[in-house]
Order: sequence, then C-alpha cells, then structure tokens
Amino acid sequence: MKAGLYSKIAADGIRKNGRLYIPYFITCILMVALFYIMHMLGFSGMLSNFEGASTASDMLKLGTIIMAVFGTIFLFYTQSTLVKGRLKEFGLYSVLGMNRRNLGRIIFFETLISWMIAMTGGLIAGIGLSKLAELGFMRLIAVEVSYKFTLSVPSLVTTVIVYTVIFFLIYLNAVRRVRFASTINLIRSDKEGEKPPKANWVVGILGFVILASGYYIAIKIKQPLSALIWFFIAVILTIIGTYLVLIAGSVLLCRILQKNKKYYYKTTHFVSVSSMAYRMKRNGASLASICILLTMILVMISSTSALYINREETLMNHYPRHINAYASKYGYDKDYGEIAEKLKSSIVEKTREYGATAKNETYFFNYCLSGYFENSCLDLDINPMENFATIDYDKVAQVYFFDVDTYNKLTGENESLAEGKVIAVIDGKVDVNDELKIGKETFDVIKKTDNSKAKLRNAVSTNVVSTIYVIVDDVDKAASLYKDYKDPTGSPMLSWYWVYDFDIDLDEEHQTELGNILNKLMHDELTSKHFVNYCDSRVYQRNDFIKTFGGLFFLGILLSIIFLVSCVLIIYYKQISEGFEDQSRFGIMQKVGMTKENIKKSINSQMLTVFLIPIIFACMHLAAVLPIIHKLLQLFGHNNMPLLLSCAGVCVLICGIFYAVIYKLTSNAYYKIVS
Amino acid sequence: MSLLEVTGVKKIYRARRGGTAVEALKNVNFTVEKGEYVAIMGESGSGKTTLLNILAALDKATEGTVILDGMNLSTIKDSAIAMFRRDNLGYVFQDFNLLDTFTLEDNIYLPLVLAGKRHQDMSARLSQIAPALGITDLLKKYPYEVSGGQKQRAAVARALITSPKIILADEPTGALDSKSSDELLALFKQVNNMGQTVLMVTHSTKAASHASRVMFIKDGVIFHQIYKGECTDQQMYQKISDTLNLLASGGDLK
Repeated sequence: MKAGLYSKIAADGIRKNGRLYIPYFITCILMVALFYIMHMLGFSGMLSNFEGASTASDMLKLGTIIMAVFGTIFLFYTQSTLVKGRLKEFGLYSVLGMNRRNLGRIIFFETLISWMIAMTGGLIAGIGLSKLAELGFMRLIAVEVSYKFTLSVPSLVTTVIVYTVIFFLIYLNAVRRVRFASTINLIRSDKEGEKPPKANWVVGILGFVILASGYYIAIKIKQPLSALIWFFIAVILTIIGTYLVLIAGSVLLCRILQKNKKYYYKTTHFVSVSSMAYRMKRNGASLASICILLTMILVMISSTSALYINREETLMNHYPRHINAYASKYGYDKDYGEIAEKLKSSIVEKTREYGATAKNETYFFNYCLSGYFENSCLDLDINPMENFATIDYDKVAQVYFFDVDTYNKLTGENESLAEGKVIAVIDGKVDVNDELKIGKETFDVIKKTDNSKAKLRNAVSTNVVSTIYVIVDDVDKAASLYKDYKDPTGSPMLSWYWVYDFDIDLDEEHQTELGNILNKLMHDELTSKHFVNYCDSRVYQRNDFIKTFGGLFFLGILLSIIFLVSCVLIIYYKQISEGFEDQSRFGIMQKVGMTKENIKKSINSQMLTVFLIPIIFACMHLAAVLPIIHKLLQLFGHNNMPLLLSCAGVCVLICGIFYAVIYKLTSNAYYKIVS
Repeated sequence: MSLLEVTGVKKIYRARRGGTAVEALKNVNFTVEKGEYVAIMGESGSGKTTLLNILAALDKATEGTVILDGMNLSTIKDSAIAMFRRDNLGYVFQDFNLLDTFTLEDNIYLPLVLAGKRHQDMSARLSQIAPALGITDLLKKYPYEVSGGQKQRAAVARALITSPKIILADEPTGALDSKSSDELLALFKQVNNMGQTVLMVTHSTKAASHASRVMFIKDGVIFHQIYKGECTDQQMYQKISDTLNLLASGGDLK
C-alpha cells in the first residue's frame, strides 16, 4: 500500500511536470536507441564484409564510447535541472512529515519510471530504426546488401547495462541532493542563487595547447601508413582538447569579453555574454560532445561521398582497360620472362578464339623491392615488425625495376641505357643522389625525373608509400642481384609483377564473360605454380565498386542523420529547459525596462553562439583532418583532392542549413517561454 | 501641475473562465508633487500592490487615468512601455530582483545598458551614487555573496541610476532585518532630501513613518491620508498606528 503511494506520487510528479519530462524522455529514448545502433554496428562484426570495415567500425566504437560518456554527462545535467525544479515539492512533503528515506523512495520510483520508459522506448526505437535503415539501403542502392541488420543480443545487453548504470548514478545523485539539504533549504531552493563559475586559466590554456598539438600532428602527417598510427593520437588529442577548451576555455573567453567594456556593455551582448559565462561550465561538456559528433558527421559524409562520387575515376585507376590481367610471385626466377610471354600469348589466343580483338594494350612485367630509404640508400635489412614503434613510416619506400624498353613503351620516351646506368623516376618525398644504393648494390643515376609519371603510377596501381622507379637496361639482370635477399620470415624480398591490360570491342555482357574465361585460363595455368593471379573485366568490377562505396556512403548518411537529429534534439532540449530557468530572469529585466525587441535580440545573440560554437569547432576539426582523410582515401585508390574539398564544403553547407532551421525553431520556442 | 495624477482608477480582475469578477481597486484618486515622499499603507488584499503595478505600467487600469509628468500611461503603446519604464521609473522590489548572473555593478548598469548608454557615462553616474549608498566596495561581488540589506541597496542604486522621475518601492523592507530596514529607510530619506520623488507601498508602520505623507488604502479606495508636517518620526509613528487602530476597529474617520 505504502509503496503504491510512493509510486503514485512519483508518477504524478512526472505527469504534472510533463512539459519538462516529455522532451527529457524523448532525449533518453533517442540516446539509448543511438547507443544500441552504434554498438551493434561497431562491435558485432556486421560490417566485416566491407572493404574499409575496420575504419568504419573503429569510428563507430569511438562513437559508442563518446555516446556513453556524453549520455552520462547529459543525463546528469538534465536530471539535476529536473530535480531542482522539484526540490520545493520535496520540501513540502518533508514539512508534511516525510523523512529523507521516504523522499528517497519517491526519487527511486521516479528514476525507475524514467529508466523503464527510456529502455523500452529506446530499444524498440533502436531495433525499429535499424530495420528501417536496412530497407532504406535496399531502396537507395539497387544491389543486394552485403550485411544485414539483425537483432544483436550482446548489443542489447550492453545497452541495458550501460544505461542502467547511468540511471543508477543519476538516482544516487538525486538522493544525495535531497539527503543533505534541510527542509528549509529544500523549500527555498528555487530562490537560491548559484555561484557563477570562475575562469580557469590553467585548464583553458592547456585545452588550447592540446587541441593545437592534435591539429599539428594531423597536419604534419605526410604518408598514409604513418597516418594510420598518428591519426588515432591526433583524434584523441583533439577530443580531449575540445572538451577542455569548451568547458574551461569558453568561460575564459566570456570573462575576456566581459573585460572589454566597449563590447560587453552593449544591449545585445550584455545579457547573453553574462548568462553564457554563467552556464558555460556545465554546457561546455554538451557543446563539446555535440561538436565531436558533428565532426564525425562531416568526416564521414565528406569522405564517403567523395569515394562514392569518384568511384568511376578510382575504377579507371585500378582497371585502366576493359580487361585487366595480373599475376605476381615472390622471388626471382630466370624463367619468369618465358612464363610471361607464354601467358600473354595464350590470353591473346583465347581472346581471338572468343572473336574479339585487343586494342590499347599495356603489357609489362617488373620487379619490386621495399625498404627503409635514407641518404639515397634503400636499406633492406630493417625488420619492420621488430621496429614497429620506432620506424619512421615516412621513410618507407618501394623500388620498381623496369626495363628501359618497357619504360619507353609506357611513357613514349626514347631512352637508351648502358649497363649499370639507371634512370630514377621519383614519386614521393625521397631524395636520390647520383649514386643510388639498393641493398648492397650501387647504381649510377644518369638521369632523374622528379615528377611522378602518371603512366608509370598507373602501371603499379596505387601508391601508398614513396616510390622510386629504377629504369635499367636489363631488368632480369638487375633483379638477379637480389635473388638471395630474404626477409626475417625467410621469404624472398623481391617480388615479380606481371600486367597485361587491353580494351576490346565487345558489349558489357560479353566483356564480363570474356573476363571470366580469361580468369579461369590464368587460374589453370598459374595457380599450381603458386602465382597470385586474376583477370578482371572493368564492367564486373564497376558493380563491386558501387556496392562497396555505395554501402559506405549509405552507412555514412544513416549515421549522420541519427547523429544530427540527436545533436539537434539535445540542443533544443537544453535551450528549452534553460528557457524555463530564464523565465524569471527575463521577467526582472522586463520590469527594469527591457523591451521585447531587446529580448529578441539578446536571445538571438545567445542562441547563435550556442549553435555556432559546435559547428565552428567541427569545421576547424574537419579542416585539420582533411589532409589525413585525403591520405587515408588514397588507400582506397582515391586521389582527388578538389572533389574531397567540394564534398566537405557541400557537407558543411547542408549541416549549416539544417542548423539554421533548427536555430530558428529553437529561438522561437525559447522566446515564447521567456516572454 | 503635479508630478503624478491618479484619477478615478478602477481595476477589475476576472477569473479565467468567466468566473466572478473581483474589484481590486474601486475608485482611486490622488496626486503626488515633485520631491514628495509618499507612503501607501494597507492590509493584505487592500489593493496596494495592484495600485503600484498600475503606476509602474506593469498592469493596466480598467478605468481611470494615470498621468506621470503630463504623460498618460494608458496611451503609451505596448511596444514602448518597457522603454517608458526604463526612462521614467525606478522600481525597488521586496525581494530585490537582482540577477544572479551579474555582479552588483552590472546589475546596476542593466537599465542603462538597455538604454544603450556608453560605459563611461554609466560609470560616471555610478561613481556619483555609489558612495551615498555605501556599496562602492561591493560592486564587483555577485548577489549570492552579499547580505539582503546590501542587495537592496544595490537594487536602489539600480533604480536611481537612470535619474527617474519617480521611485516606486514595493515593500522594500519586507525581506530585511530591522537594522538593514533602518539603514534602507534612512537611505530613502537621504535620496528624497536630494530632491528625488519616492512612492512606497508598505504595511510597516515604521517604514511609513519616514514618509512626508501617508495614504491609507482599504477595500480599493484611498481611505485617509495624514501629513507629517513638522512631526518627528516618533510622533508620525504614533499618528499612523492610531489611524491603523481606528481602521482595524472599523471606525469611520470621515
């Protein structure tokens, strides 16, 4: 009976404060749903069929952690606002004879009700949204989905555990507030003034320093391989820096603005600057979280859209001709030349049999070595596995040995070389002197071509590290010098590549068919001899590209929508609940002579700042990480900086427009509350 | 011409869903001359706060006119009301109504900032009135850091800084202890001596005894008024409490 009374009081309390609790519940539900979806995508291995899946799921794992931290902070903040409004009521119960334990019970039931609503609503919304996303995916990209959204039990369990803990902490906090306040203080709690935060110079400046070093690392990175390791450090530094800057730095900024009398004592700035200074400390964390989510949106959308839009160019880089045959094997063998010729002639024959004629042929083979390049010397003895932490990845380089005849054929030059003399074509940031030392051998460089010859670059597919093309008079002879070099695992360091690409005069269907026939042919001839080999038709690969890049793009859009909606909801809720707090403040100011016009202006200036801070920071972050993104995209074979920049620009613009709409809605709602 | 002329003011409150009408003010008539210090006394529910709200243009009279320095309050447009209040009235509240987001100094500047004054002008004005109010050392503090009496002095400074035509005070001693009350009342007197017109609503006999004229309001009409003349505060106190006793016992003074 008694327990029934407490739960009834709790339920009544929630019902009567509906205008505050309803947005609170919606926020809770969305946060739980979001957490579930992110956890499911990030941890369940659902994305494992994806190329680039590890990047996507790392991002999601990070997102999940941020959501948990952010969820805790945010729910604490909102709950304390809610409880503050109800302390007076609790004071009254206390006057009427309830002791602290009874009040604790009311709070318990209240938290329980919130928890139940958040959990059921959140999980249902999470499951529903993920199903919806699946259907949307099918619709948008008319290909089969390579992953399915299914119910993930571990994610369900994790979500329940994480949010139960959060709600429990919230409950303890609320109990603490009631327990340590006297009845009189409870009753007077709504009158009690709060101490404005002091500016903390140390933390603020530390935040700026950390943020700046994160940016510095991000901008400094030159090579994609080192990018992978440093990227993570830069991300962590940026996140920490953002939190510190927005929590302490923003108070600092407000104080500095307040010191500037000319700026501060202006009708529009006066009220907004002071109330921001007053709130920034507890708002800083939510603003920082919003900013990081926004940054993730911008990064995801601009990179995946750039990949998707640029897919045709990437495809062309990967597969320059209609039919693309490829074979490779480790080590040196003098028979390779013969095998190569035989392979080519059987492909030519099979193609003729099929009734097609090959055009625009690209045919060559080469040898490749990689090592640590320093002082015009390629060191082949460093074991990258042992020196993983200390190695400077910017100095890892590849060397390709090309025949001078092949070189002339590929580039249209007309060079000839004497024995022992080489031409070095350099692609990347390496300096080659007149003597080029590779392993123990030294070559005389008679000519250096500094620029990357697009034709040569295409020939060896994408460049992840710096590359030196060493053009020799006899590739077989040059390679034979390295036949005994082994890496620490005992396999040969040298690898042999063979490429034969050509166009044919067939329709798309027959191109695919011929591609399959040739693939089988190569497989039959080479696999038994331990060659890696394949033959792809570009048409067939195009579908694959659309599926992969389209999938990533869709995933990016999906997550961005969820992020954006929840960001906006959080801002909206924050402003609305602040509006209720500000009601009396604006009442006083009206009595002192603030006109409606003043109120509107001051709200606008305040809102604009609250809305602009996260997006401005997010844009700064985006600008800082764009170079890294560009380099990471190179791993996918994407090398189109202008496109990436314009994608980022469009993305910022769309977010900005969305933001402007929400800004208008929020400030109208806020204005209605306070006036 | 009087500074403030109140003629035939009537205020009727209607309950929201067409319920019974309550007549808070029946027919109020009085004038206040420039430089006067007037107190309005009355019991709870006598209509004194309603009257003050109408004088402060926070509320509108159902009937009658209020003319401040030749301006009829009811003809001022809604959009200009706040500005009118800012430029002509100083208001001192029972519960101070200081903003906890501002230092005392900024609280005092608020009406001037809203009026778009320059910072030099504001600080010049504040440096004139701050010593008299004894708040010079408190200016950089926040409201939560100072006592009630200090808060109310800052609130008086906020009302004074615009050099208003009249200061309206609603139970200014209501939330103060007796020492702070005495200080505040002395302050009002001092301000009045400098030529500032003050109109105060109170039910504290002591507070009213400082005024040069006391009006009594009962059941929505001005029932009686007494002038201080050459009396001391003590004698005035006695006069007021006699009147209140008469009022309470239902005696008719007319």
